[in-house]
Amino acid sequence: MQALQAPKQPLIAMRAITKMFDRTRALAGASFELAEGEIHGLLGANGAGKSTLSKIMAGHYPFDSGEMIYRGRPLQLRSTRDALRIGIAIVMQETSLVPDLTVLENIFLPELGRPGRLDYRALKLRSEALLENLGQQGSLPLDWEVRRLSSAQKQLVEIAKALGVGAKLIIFDEPTASLSPGEVDRLFDVMTRLRAADHGLIFVSHRLEEVFSITDRVTVMREGRTVLDGLPTTQLSQAELIRAMVGTELGAIYTGSHTAKSVTDGRPVALSVRHLSSAPLVKDMSFTVHAGEILGIGGLVGAGRSEAMEAIFGLRPRTGGEVHLEGKPLSAQRPQEAIRAGLGFVAEDRRAQNIVPDLSVKENLLLAHLGAHRGFFRAYKMRERSLRELMQRLGLPQERLMDGSMLNFSGGMQQKIIIARWLLLDPKVLILDEPTKGIDIGTRASVYSMLRDIVTKGVAVVVVSSDFEELLGISDRIVVMSDGRSIADLPSAMLDEEKLTLLAAPRTSMARNTQLLEALAHEYNGAGFWALIEGDRFICLNSVVTRPLLDPGFRPGDARGVAETSIPQALRQRISIFVQEQDGSRTTLIIPMRSARGHDLGWIGLSLPPDAVLPSPEQIKSRVDSLAATL
Amino acid sequence: MSIEKPSPSRSIAASAPAAAFRIKQLAQRLEVRMLGLAILIGLCLSLLSPYFLTRPNIFNMLDQSVVIGIIAVGMTFVILTGGIDLSVGSVAGFTGILLGLSLQHMPIVPAIAAAVAAGAGIGLVSGLLINVFGLAAFVVTLGVMAIGRSLAYIASGQTAISNIPDAMQAIVYTNILGIPSNVLFLIILYIVAWAYLAFTKGGRTIYAVGSNKEAARAAGLNTLFYSVLPYVLSGALSAVAATFSISQILSADPLMGNSMELDAIAAVVIGGASLYGGRGSMLGTLFGVFIMVMIRNGLNLMGVSPFWQGSAIGTIIIVALLVERLVSSRVDQ
Repeated sequence: MQALQAPKQPLIAMRAITKMFDRTRALAGASFELAEGEIHGLLGANGAGKSTLSKIMAGHYPFDSGEMIYRGRPLQLRSTRDALRIGIAIVMQETSLVPDLTVLENIFLPELGRPGRLDYRALKLRSEALLENLGQQGSLPLDWEVRRLSSAQKQLVEIAKALGVGAKLIIFDEPTASLSPGEVDRLFDVMTRLRAADHGLIFVSHRLEEVFSITDRVTVMREGRTVLDGLPTTQLSQAELIRAMVGTELGAIYTGSHTAKSVTDGRPVALSVRHLSSAPLVKDMSFTVHAGEILGIGGLVGAGRSEAMEAIFGLRPRTGGEVHLEGKPLSAQRPQEAIRAGLGFVAEDRRAQNIVPDLSVKENLLLAHLGAHRGFFRAYKMRERSLRELMQRLGLPQERLMDGSMLNFSGGMQQKIIIARWLLLDPKVLILDEPTKGIDIGTRASVYSMLRDIVTKGVAVVVVSSDFEELLGISDRIVVMSDGRSIADLPSAMLDEEKLTLLAAPRTSMARNTQLLEALAHEYNGAGFWALIEGDRFICLNSVVTRPLLDPGFRPGDARGVAETSIPQALRQRISIFVQEQDGSRTTLIIPMRSARGHDLGWIGLSLPPDAVLPSPEQIKSRVDSLAATL
Repeated sequence: MSIEKPSPSRSIAASAPAAAFRIKQLAQRLEVRMLGLAILIGLCLSLLSPYFLTRPNIFNMLDQSVVIGIIAVGMTFVILTGGIDLSVGSVAGFTGILLGLSLQHMPIVPAIAAAVAAGAGIGLVSGLLINVFGLAAFVVTLGVMAIGRSLAYIASGQTAISNIPDAMQAIVYTNILGIPSNVLFLIILYIVAWAYLAFTKGGRTIYAVGSNKEAARAAGLNTLFYSVLPYVLSGALSAVAATFSISQILSADPLMGNSMELDAIAAVVIGGASLYGGRGSMLGTLFGVFIMVMIRNGLNLMGVSPFWQGSAIGTIIIVALLVERLVSSRVDQ
């Protein structure tokens, strides 16, 4: 059912848009259509092209081929100013506001460039009228500098600014990423009012629940193409959306081996991180990595993965939690302490955080040695032999390398040199943040084989990557991080891209949901879980087990056939009363969770021993309902 | 593994290209180009003035290089980290007055030590303000420059202190192996500074901090310490320079070192240092100092009016840097 009755005039239509950046194809025939008076969700995994498409619509860069039709007329934008003039504005995460100008000046920034005197009184009246239309009168101090505002307020300034130039089409790029739940509600109220005033809004987001609660239609992109074109939100389920984002059939998942034995058996724990937090982005991060193991850290951009790694390494202050390196506490205040304890860290941004351009390649290789070395002299001699051996082992041509400048080499070679910088110190744990970012496919393989080589030497390796395919390919085990929390820890043999996407999706409800599960499981001394059920397929989102005997046979992130769980009876029947399993091991209550708009948010289950005094299902149902009503 | 492209063509097979490559590699070194420039200027001046290349004038020029040369060492360290120190001239003035005053009450050695410690202390304050509180180096040292000069006037009572003990002259005019002691000190200072920058952890850290502070920190280097150290050094060396200056003329003037910061910065920049940090060397700075002193000396010999000398020096500096930029972009290709 292709975009059926488009309710009103189409505002913009993008057809078969392609876009290349250097040699990377960002868009390969994307299409998109937005009507007046509509909120349209634009979804996709990391790198699917949704940001590129948004920025093309907002005039940030031109498209290579295809067609862009705005209000019935084809056009090609040359700049954001072009886009603003015809009424297209984008509200981005990193705001485009001038921090040192006042709110009022920022709202009318596009007009400040006009010749003639500014009538501040008139501007003030206009901005008050704008805010009143948004139902936000008085919520912005007009004469404050923007720098003093909260991120929610800055966003409101951006919206007002867009309306100030008469924007008809407003693109919201991950607008809720830095907002609290209350602020999200207010933003959605503003968006609803804009929709009522016949504006067309595009909502780019990872957050499925928010997409369900605010959008009218949804378009999903994958690998630069549109794979689901403007279907009404009410006709879609979470599972369908994820299927479209990932592109594999959901049926394929539970063929994965559950018996895949962890490779870590018997190996000592090299690094253990418990409840690490680093305000504001890292909230509760836990994981362990063993010697000789590659641990992948997965998640979406902005989940707080890099920040967590920097906090472990001492580049960023911690606000809580513990880190142990080979059993000894590591409270690195500075990288030097972490390095001397045996940690290495290849930071994400090669140019800004790793390369020292004015030093030779040799000195770049020896930089971490210099940091770890105690003593007055540089003591390069001390590493001379191991440097030679290392370069030979890595296949780096030393005579050509040593005196050259880092900048003369390709990204892949630079990355190998930076990795070698740490290997020279024989680290116990090496953390790599996006190690293949900006490296062409051909050279990636050699970085991977380098990592495998490191691991066979007994080093524990932690790899942060947004490329799920890469993560699955190289990691033994994967910890998924979402919204600053580690939410799953599974052998990669049990994972695939789809499960990763499902787990990584930030869920507004995750924190409160976990609270409810904890409360239920502890109050009734049983096992609680939260899952999606589709036909006879079952995907666990979260579970809390207080008695090992009641283990339901799945962990967060697991996808199974209903028959493969320990509670097939309950899952099949789903009848709002406790259902006894045939083997008599437990009795289970399963309650559907529906959002205020009637959307399927999955199921909450509670398993109890067969002989337990059963609570009233209505009482539990009302607790689930009251939670769902707030989502 | 893929084959990487090395930057310049590198052919070792034939000997003729190898020699050409050597020369090209040599020409890529900035100090070498600066040495060439210094020789060129020296040649021009010796053609213009027959007295220029005489032994007395050469010693005269070496003598004139000492004070500016000492200050340029500290300035090189500061500029290597990407900072700037505008206060060197007035710190020299102020510590010079301190030295002049304390020589009235104590022996020479403790008096000099006190002046040097005061200079180092001032540098420490500047360095901490810049690196702990994140203030702009330009602004902090501009403020210190004003304070230093003002304190120099107040402490001296607005007049030069002239009753300096004659024994101070020994610092300058003792000959060792036929070389005046102040010139010998300068040579040793440059060798020590060069060795420090080239062979010690601190020296390499200073380069790394100036080139990419974030990467240096992530590699475990103590970026704070080695960002502050150059300012301390620069303050201390300003006081040392003041000591040599006072020993030469046996008088401590509150005006001493006026606009010295500009000469020192010019010498360092002519010597090939980048004001963004990370690039520069002691050898380059030494050539920069010589070029500055030669030009000034040559203009004096030719009887150019002091009022025109500023224009001449300014023009020569700008032209030299412009030529260097054009040449370097050619050579680096």
